[in-house]
Amino acid sequence: MALIEVKDLCFAYEGDNLAVDHVSFSVPEGQYVTIIGHNGSGKSTVAKLLAGLLEKKSGSIVIDGLELNQKNLHQLRSRIGIVFQNPDNQFIGSTVRDDIAFGLENHCVPQEQMDDIISEFSTRVGMSEFLDKEPTHLSGGQKQRVAIAGVLAMAPKILIFDEATSMLDPQGKDEIKRVIMDLHRKSGLTILSITHDIDEVTSSDNVLVLAEGKVALTGTPAEVFSQEKMLKKIRLDIPFSLKLADELNKRGVSVNRELTMEGLVKELCRLHSNM
Amino acid sequence: MPIAFEHVSHIYNDGTPYRHVALEDVSLELAEGKITAIIGQTGSGKSTLVQHLNALLLPSAGKVLILDRTIEAGSQPKQLKSLRGQVGLVFQFPEYQLFEETVLKDIAFGPKNFGVSEEDAAKKARTAMQMVGLGPEFEERSPLELSGGQKRRVAIAGILAMDPAVLVLDEPTAGLDPQGTEQMMSLFHRLNRESGKTILIVTHDMEQVYRYCDEVVVMEQGKPKLRTDVQTFFHDSSLCRELNILPPALIRMKDMLRENGFTVSDEISDVNGLAKELARQVKRHG
Amino acid sequence: MGNFTLGRYLPLDSPIHRMDPRAKIMGMLLMLIAIFIPSGWIGYGIIFVCAAGTILLAKLQFGFILKSMRPMMIMMIFLFIINCLVIHTGEPLFVIGPVVIYKDAILQTLYIVVRLLLMIMITTCLTATTKPLDMTLGIEDLLKPFEKIHVPAHEIAMLISIALRFIPDLIDETQRIIKAQESRGVDMKEGKMQERIMAILSLIVPLFVSAFQRAEDLANAMEARGYAPGEKRTRYKVLKMAGRDYTLLLCCTAVLAGMIWLSRMS
Repeated sequence: MALIEVKDLCFAYEGDNLAVDHVSFSVPEGQYVTIIGHNGSGKSTVAKLLAGLLEKKSGSIVIDGLELNQKNLHQLRSRIGIVFQNPDNQFIGSTVRDDIAFGLENHCVPQEQMDDIISEFSTRVGMSEFLDKEPTHLSGGQKQRVAIAGVLAMAPKILIFDEATSMLDPQGKDEIKRVIMDLHRKSGLTILSITHDIDEVTSSDNVLVLAEGKVALTGTPAEVFSQEKMLKKIRLDIPFSLKLADELNKRGVSVNRELTMEGLVKELCRLHSNM
Repeated sequence: MPIAFEHVSHIYNDGTPYRHVALEDVSLELAEGKITAIIGQTGSGKSTLVQHLNALLLPSAGKVLILDRTIEAGSQPKQLKSLRGQVGLVFQFPEYQLFEETVLKDIAFGPKNFGVSEEDAAKKARTAMQMVGLGPEFEERSPLELSGGQKRRVAIAGILAMDPAVLVLDEPTAGLDPQGTEQMMSLFHRLNRESGKTILIVTHDMEQVYRYCDEVVVMEQGKPKLRTDVQTFFHDSSLCRELNILPPALIRMKDMLRENGFTVSDEISDVNGLAKELARQVKRHG
Repeated sequence: MGNFTLGRYLPLDSPIHRMDPRAKIMGMLLMLIAIFIPSGWIGYGIIFVCAAGTILLAKLQFGFILKSMRPMMIMMIFLFIINCLVIHTGEPLFVIGPVVIYKDAILQTLYIVVRLLLMIMITTCLTATTKPLDMTLGIEDLLKPFEKIHVPAHEIAMLISIALRFIPDLIDETQRIIKAQESRGVDMKEGKMQERIMAILSLIVPLFVSAFQRAEDLANAMEARGYAPGEKRTRYKVLKMAGRDYTLLLCCTAVLAGMIWLSRMS
C-alpha cells in the first residue's frame, strides 16, 4: 500500500466550478514527487486538501493507511508537514528559536526536550547560528529554511512544499532546493513539491501534471516530458536539453531525448566521434 | 536625453543606529529607447536605484538627470507630480495596489491624478487594457476578484495608462508561472519596439534578460559593477560565473559543447540556430 | 515612526531588564494605583524618587522619557486652556484679555501633568526593559487564574504576540503601498478634500486586502503546524521568579501602603 492514496478527490470553492476534479494518484513511501501545472490548475488546492486545511467535497485521501477525516485530522497532522509560498506569513515566532518551538508546543512536547530538538533541526537546515535572530533580519531563503526546520521538528513522514521557492531570489531558491534534495536522500522522507522549476522536476522521481483541476499526466520525468502533444496543449515548459534534442531530431540527427544537458552533450560526443 | 546618475549616494536612516548606505557614489548612464536589465543580488541597491528615477527617493548626495530634469541632493524638486507621470514605476507585486471598484476605474486612477478628464482617462485606460491583453469584458469587474496574473496586468495597465516615456519595473515577473512570465516579458518587448519607450527591468531571471533585454547593469553592494550590452555579457559563462549568476541554458549548453570539442559560433542565440549548427557538424563528420 | 519612543523596547543589559516580566507588570500596576491615590506633593515626590531610581538602574536616559512625553504636549496645553476657562476657584492670579486665571486652574493642571509624567516614567520602566514577547508571556501567566472565569488567557497572549510579530511587516507594507500610489500620482500630503479621500482610500483598501491575505496564510500555517485554540499545549519559555523580583514587589507594595497612609493623614 502506498503512503498516500488519493482517489476521485473533488473540491470546489464556494459557488465555483470544481477546482479539483476527480483527482486520483498514489505516492509510495520515500518518493520525491513534483506537481506541476499553471497557476489556477488546482495544485495548491490539492496540497491544502492533503494537509487537511480544506475539506474535500467527495472522494478519499488515505495517508499511511488512515482515511483523512475530521476524526483523524489531528493524528494525521503530525505526519504531514507543509511549507508555504510566502516566507513572512508562516513565520509565527518572534525569533528562529521560538518559531521552531511553536509546532512542538502544539504537539505537547515536554519543555525539557525542546532545546535539543530545536538545535538538531536548525542544524539540519543550516540555521543553528541564527537561533536568536528575528525574522526581519533574515533573508527569504533563511526564513524558508526555518519553516522547514519547524515542520521537520514534528517528525512528519510526508513533507509538502507549496511553491516554497517561488518568492525567493536565485540564491534562496538554490538553498531550498539543496535542502529538499538533501532531506530526500538522507532521511527518506516522502516529498511532494509543487513547483515551476524545471530543474527540480527533472530531478524528482515522479511528476504529476495538473490542468484545470484534473490530472493531465503522471509518470517519471522522462515519461511525462515525452508527451509532447499534451505538454504543448497545456503550454508547459520542457527542459532546454529536450528542446534542443527535438530540434536535432527534426533535422535528421537522431539523438536520445536526454533530460539533462550533460546527457545530451555526451550523446552528441558519441555521434561526433563514432562517425 | 539619457538617464544619468552622477555621484549619487543614498543613505537610509542617516544619523540613527539603523544607518544603512544603500547606494554609494553611483555614476551611471542608462540608454534611452532600450530595454535595460538591472541585476544583482538581493540588497545590492537595485530597488533603491530605480526609486530615484521618479523621485520617490531623493539622493543623499549627487544628482540624477532624467528626461529634462535634474534632481539634486539637498533641494526639494518642484513639480514632482509631472515627473511621476513621465516615469512610470511598477513595484514588486503591484497587484497589492489595486483598490477601485472596477478594473476600468482602477486603471484610470493614475491619469486622473495627473489632471486628465474623466472621459479621456477612461479612453486611456481602455487603450492600456488592450496593451496588456485584457478584453473589454474585464472593464466592469472588481480587480480584487481576478486571478494573480490578471491582477498584475491590471496594475501594469494602471501605469501604462499614464503614458510614461520611461517605464521602470521592479521584478515584474516574480511569482508568475512560466506562461505568465512569457506574456509579461513579450508585452514589455513590444512596448519598447513599437512605441520606443525606455524600459528598465529589475530582475533575477537571466533567461528573460538574455531573450528580451538590450543592456545589462550589474549592481553589487550599492555600486554599479558593470554596464554592457547583453551580447557581450552573455558571450560566454565566464562573466556570469564570476558574478555568481546562473547563465541562461543556451549559454551553458554552448560552453559545454565547446569544452567537448564542438565549435559553436557566437552569433547563435536560439535553440534553432544551435540545432542547425550541431546538425551540420555531426553530419559532416559522418 | 523614528521619533516615537513611547512604549518602545530598548535592548540594554541591566538588572531591571533581567527581571521577571510578571514582577514588573505587577509592580507597575501597584505603582499606577499609588499615583491615583491623592497623597499630595510629598507622595508624588516619593513616587518620583522611586521611578527615577528605577530608570537609573535600568540604564535608561531621562531624555528618552522626555521624548515619550512629546506626543502628550498638545493634549496638556489643551487641558490647560480648558482648565483656565472652566475653573474659577482659588485666588485670581492674572488676567489675559477677557479671561481671569485662577490659582486652582494652574494647580489642577499641574496635578494632572505631574501624574501623567509619573505614569509615563513608570510604564516606560516596564516597556523599555521588557521584550514584547516576554511581556505577553507575563500577561498570559498573570491571567491564568482568571481562566476559571473563562478569560481566554492563552488566546489573548497569542493575539498580542502575533500582533507584535507583524507590526514591522505591516509598517513595511504601508510604506510600499504609499510609494506605489505616489508613483500613480497620489499626493499623500496635500490636495483638495476629494483628492485626500481618494488618497486615503488608495492606501487603506490595499492594506486591508493584504492584511486579510496575511491572516489567511497565517491561519493555514498555524493550523498545519497543529495549533488549535483551546487545546492543551506545552510552553517553550518558562518564567522563574527570583529574589530581586520579590524585592521589587515588596517595595511597590510598601509605596502603595505609604500613599494610602499619607492620604488618610491629610
